[in-house]
Amino acid sequence: MASLDVSSLKKNTKIEIDGHPYVVVDFQFVKPGKGQGLYKCRIKNMITGAVMDRTWRSGEQFEAANVESKQMQYLFAGSDSFTFMDNESYEQVELSAAVVGDDKWFLLDNLTVDVLFYNDRPVGLSLPSHVIMEITDSEPGVKGDTATNVTKQATTSTGYQIGVPIFIKIGERIKVDTRTGTYIERVNA
Amino acid sequence: MTPPLTTRARVLLWDAANLAVREHFHSAGLREVMTPPVVDAVAIEPWIEPVAASTGWLRTSPELAMKRLLAAGSGPIFQIADVARAGETGAWHREQFVLVEWYREGDALEDVIADVESLVARVVELAAPWTMSTIEAPQRWTRVAFLDALAETMPGTVLRGDEDADALTRAVQSLDLPEIRTRSIEARTLEAWTAFFSAWSDAHLDPWLQGKFASGEGIHLVEFPAPLAALAVLARDDRDRRVSGRFESHALGRELANGYRELRDPIEQRTRFACVAELRAAHDRVALPVPEAFLADLADPGLPPCCGAALGLDRLIALAVGATSLGDIALSP
Repeated sequence: MASLDVSSLKKNTKIEIDGHPYVVVDFQFVKPGKGQGLYKCRIKNMITGAVMDRTWRSGEQFEAANVESKQMQYLFAGSDSFTFMDNESYEQVELSAAVVGDDKWFLLDNLTVDVLFYNDRPVGLSLPSHVIMEITDSEPGVKGDTATNVTKQATTSTGYQIGVPIFIKIGERIKVDTRTGTYIERVNA
Repeated sequence: MTPPLTTRARVLLWDAANLAVREHFHSAGLREVMTPPVVDAVAIEPWIEPVAASTGWLRTSPELAMKRLLAAGSGPIFQIADVARAGETGAWHREQFVLVEWYREGDALEDVIADVESLVARVVELAAPWTMSTIEAPQRWTRVAFLDALAETMPGTVLRGDEDADALTRAVQSLDLPEIRTRSIEARTLEAWTAFFSAWSDAHLDPWLQGKFASGEGIHLVEFPAPLAALAVLARDDRDRRVSGRFESHALGRELANGYRELRDPIEQRTRFACVAELRAAHDRVALPVPEAFLADLADPGLPPCCGAALGLDRLIALAVGATSLGDIALSP
């Protein structure tokens, strides 16, 4: 594994700390007088998404993280895992339900996602910023109540419960923000 | 958001600043010199990394070459010098930047400190047509002894400048200094004090300075403790603390200049270089050649008594126009 000097740190550098891959999301270099330089970084755990602040001093070394991301297609869910396939090599990988977490609600058949590999092991996924989902169940809206700020509960084809405007009907398709899990807009045809 | 300065504005700004520097020093009797940007040896400093040239190094400062001129009888001199320091990149650091470096003969460090004040006032004034926000030069400057600033910003921490690595580490326990890697007493002392200086600056000195800046004050941090003397002479202050003729000037939000009552003793200078070299080796820094030609000149004909300083011109110009980074006023990307 390549050893990096702290002076080569930049935004988006991927580094390894205590066996976890992190990406540098913010970075500030300060150097008081003729003192030792300080590299003040905000780093994000690439698996859990947890963000923390770390400061390194000039002369410190760390390991580059062996991280890569591959576009893969979602195939199916097992009892406690989800299976994805590399569109080029047809290689299949499994991610545990614990790693996928609430992202499972947005895993539509054949959806293309980025699967994150750390030391060649699949450790996480990132979804497209939004997905189009079909409404499979919802109470009919009350007639005449068309104000857009009033919502009702609905269920999508993946079983996801979401608040949607009153005018959305069963069988209609909606665009959903995968980061917040909220309704964006109705998709016509 | 203010629109970025146009290339033409940057050219006019730098031209005006260079002219102001030249006028200031010329009227004070200093003469402009140029020394080569590629050198055989740089001053060996703990945390300043030179950029290698095909033969030798790009200068990290014109200091040694200018002191050799002084030794050869140049009289008081100044230089607007482009310098390079590897790995220093950030909003307020660039690997290549411009240092204004000057030397006055005699022991009057206060004249050099007054030069800093004049240059800051002058550049802030000339930058007015291009300011991105209202910038005022410090209404007053205060000199604060390093150890007094320490006692003020870390109440209860009283140091005398003669603490060794262990005593210092104990005294500033809250700063959580890194483990010392060097062996000799001198190098361990230097290592502990430089690490302390960085940690203290970041945690205590900077916030304290920001408060001073907000009330229109500029600060000269004077009488650096002996282990942080760098290339300045040592002294005892009126309270018998071990200090040095080194100062740093802070204004407009940042450190701007660093100066010395210059060390002239070739043996002491060689010892200090060796001590820094040990520190550098312990931290896997590139081994640097000893500046033998400079040391020889210190021995014979010898450096006349002099005081000098270096001021970061990019930084001063950027602060004078209210920029948020050095890139905002740079002439090249």
